[in-house]
Amino acid sequence: MLATVVTKTVRDRWKGMAIAGISLAVMLLFGMAVYRDIDLAVYSDLPEAFRSLVNIPKDADVGSLAYGAIYSTYGALTLASLALSMGSASIAGEERNGTLGLLLGNPKSRTHVLVSKATSLVALTALGSLLLWGAGYLAPAVLNVEVGGMHIGALILHMFLIAVFHGFLAMAIGAWTGKAGLASGITAAVMIISLFAVGLLPLVEGLESGAKAFPWYYYEGSSPVLNGVSWGHLAVLFAAIAVLGAVAVAGVNRRDLRDRATGVNLLDRLRSHPMTKKIVDRLAGSMRVSRIWIKTASEHQGLLIGTAYVMFLMMGVMLGPFFNLIKDTLATFTDALPEAVMALVGNGDMGTPEGWYQVETFGMMVPIAFMLVTVAIGARALAGEEERRTMGLLLANPITRRRVVLEKAFAMVVYAVAVAVATFSGVALGSVIGRLGMSMGNIAAATLLGMLVGLVFGALSLALSAATGRSRIAIYSTIGAALTFYILNAFLPLSDSVAGLARWSPFYYYLTSDPLNTGMHWGHGAILLTLAVALVALSVVLFQRRDLRQTG
Amino acid sequence: MTDKITIRTDGLTKHYGDVEALVDLDLDVLSGEIFGFLGPNGAGKTTTIRTILDEIRPTSGSASILGMDSHREAVEIRRHIGYVPGDLAMYPNLTGRDTLTYFANLRGGVDWGHVDELAERLDADLTKKVGDLSSGNRQKVGLIQAFMNRPEVLVMDEPSSGLDPLVQREFQTMMREVAAAGSTVFLSSHTLSEVQRVANRVGIIRHGHLIAVEAVASLRSKAIRKVDLYFDSPAEQAVFESVEGVRDVAVENHHVSMSFDGHMETLLKAVSGRYTLVDITTQEADLEEIFLTYYRDEGVTA
Repeated sequence: MLATVVTKTVRDRWKGMAIAGISLAVMLLFGMAVYRDIDLAVYSDLPEAFRSLVNIPKDADVGSLAYGAIYSTYGALTLASLALSMGSASIAGEERNGTLGLLLGNPKSRTHVLVSKATSLVALTALGSLLLWGAGYLAPAVLNVEVGGMHIGALILHMFLIAVFHGFLAMAIGAWTGKAGLASGITAAVMIISLFAVGLLPLVEGLESGAKAFPWYYYEGSSPVLNGVSWGHLAVLFAAIAVLGAVAVAGVNRRDLRDRATGVNLLDRLRSHPMTKKIVDRLAGSMRVSRIWIKTASEHQGLLIGTAYVMFLMMGVMLGPFFNLIKDTLATFTDALPEAVMALVGNGDMGTPEGWYQVETFGMMVPIAFMLVTVAIGARALAGEEERRTMGLLLANPITRRRVVLEKAFAMVVYAVAVAVATFSGVALGSVIGRLGMSMGNIAAATLLGMLVGLVFGALSLALSAATGRSRIAIYSTIGAALTFYILNAFLPLSDSVAGLARWSPFYYYLTSDPLNTGMHWGHGAILLTLAVALVALSVVLFQRRDLRQTG
Repeated sequence: MTDKITIRTDGLTKHYGDVEALVDLDLDVLSGEIFGFLGPNGAGKTTTIRTILDEIRPTSGSASILGMDSHREAVEIRRHIGYVPGDLAMYPNLTGRDTLTYFANLRGGVDWGHVDELAERLDADLTKKVGDLSSGNRQKVGLIQAFMNRPEVLVMDEPSSGLDPLVQREFQTMMREVAAAGSTVFLSSHTLSEVQRVANRVGIIRHGHLIAVEAVASLRSKAIRKVDLYFDSPAEQAVFESVEGVRDVAVENHHVSMSFDGHMETLLKAVSGRYTLVDITTQEADLEEIFLTYYRDEGVTA
């Protein structure tokens, strides 16, 4: 039984892990190929504080730059995210699907099931780590690049443990509460917050050691790629994993299993309260089901609220005053920074408020935030209803398939606008509170371009969803495409011979025009808008032509 | 019932790769009739329904409802139909009433008095979230959804799954009422007894082939029954074997069991006067048995 559950879980999940491992390996190869082309002398004078923030080791050479850029951050984030999704699915996910009861109908204990789920999580994370480890040796060999002095194995070992840690955290929360969404939400928040805390806290005087309170510190705090394995840090991670495992076992054994769950959200609670019932009934009841797009939009409230909250408060308001705290440290970088390095972190001049927000907020987080909501809706819009077998019922009404696609796409736009409002007002407020004097129009321009990039990838996932009826394919392929295009846009301009190719990446039309300093680039905006509209139109055509899937 | 045709399929064929899910299906369903669509699991019932409702597109052939092409005029067709999909799933986070409101909005209005009446007849709870309902109670919401617009054509795929016997009977009454009022009911099922109770005619499908369309009355006379006779004295096998329609006779002292597909009258005549009949029980053979007996050649050759 143990082996059976492990095998099934591994069989269900290995593709995602393999795709992630292979795309990261390709990126590594690619990053190294570009770096080999550029003049490396510029790196030697970098201030140490800056290097630590963007993960460029002191004695930078091609190998360490590629590792710094790709492995430490993207690699660990990807691996940890996959572990996270396995962790939250392991107990809580089966409860949500109503299959846990069936599984436990077999003569095995809950502990048994949990342990086998945990085993497969560890095994798959190990598989991903092995792929990355292999690529770490292969890429330099293929490109004939010298990577002496790099501790690839040490980095991978640290990465493996930080990924397992996040997987177990999600599993423990899921085992304790039975809520898969809650488990992935909290764990993702822990991951992102700790990533930023570990990057930024050491720059604040008096708070340097605060980073040690965050898990990510035990991953890269010791720079394992340069210094080799830090057994002390690994021991901390290992102990945390063991504790989380024990918590998970205790959690799953102590409580009633949930029925095939319907979530209770805030609106539901208000709806059942006599004082608020009447007004909320209108909102949650009749209004929510008055249009397809409103109903679609009502389905991802939690995701929208979470994303908008993070963008407004953490990525917007808080960073304004924070800039004042560390701007002296940041100011010492500015002169020394070569253009090439800036490409890596979003081309911002960290000494100015605009550059600061570009690096911290707009460079990576803004596209991620927009894509979170647009891809969540886009990928599930059509395929989700097919997978849950409600599409047949929906289309039994006198409405065209085109209308269904367009209304779903509209819900996606509404969400993107909501995130845009949150991001814009957060950054604007941060600028006001910190007296940074940034141009409101420019903030709006950068936000708008970010929203359009998000919509391009949302529309891509909608098209994939329309073409295949499979939301997993839509999600994974869109994430793969987005990662590839992001990296292309970041790395290609570093090498003169291939810089022009960056125009093929949608991200090129996002920040290349430096909207935070120069304002809206309407031409770039138009290109992104055209691309998004074309993909939605393609979705309509693809969905109209296809047989609906019959699942279950 | 009139002779106007409500649903027609013309050489309807659907292949999934090499699998022939539906082969050259020609079918006419008349206005105002309840048409039972019978077949074992995997015979092609659902594929037929999904094709005529434009969920999937035929490999060849065509279908029409109310004279409209099932693909080109799909939207117009759906103004006139009520549909209960097989293995019904709905939005778990919506209450029954929200669900019905949603579909009513998409259709452009509904008579809520009628909905409440239907809910009362089926004893359905529309205030609970659909995801919190048992499968039978969820099915009731699906049935109300199909009936609430007083559709001209009702297409239902295994609609009574999960319903308790009392509700099943009420549901059968509802089907008879709408048919009497002129609507057409297309009812797919694998339960012969249910179809026999309500349907006027029955189409039988097997391995993607429509192998027979019969009036229910004639199907019933064909139906094999398992008959058990109990006498007050020991019986002889030979007496029964000579009766038309009797097969597989087994005599065990006072008790005789057999398969029988003739008129009961013939059997009773054969024994009366010879023995004193103490008790008689008959059981309907299941559908599979009827298929094997009557449609073996037609169904399996493809």
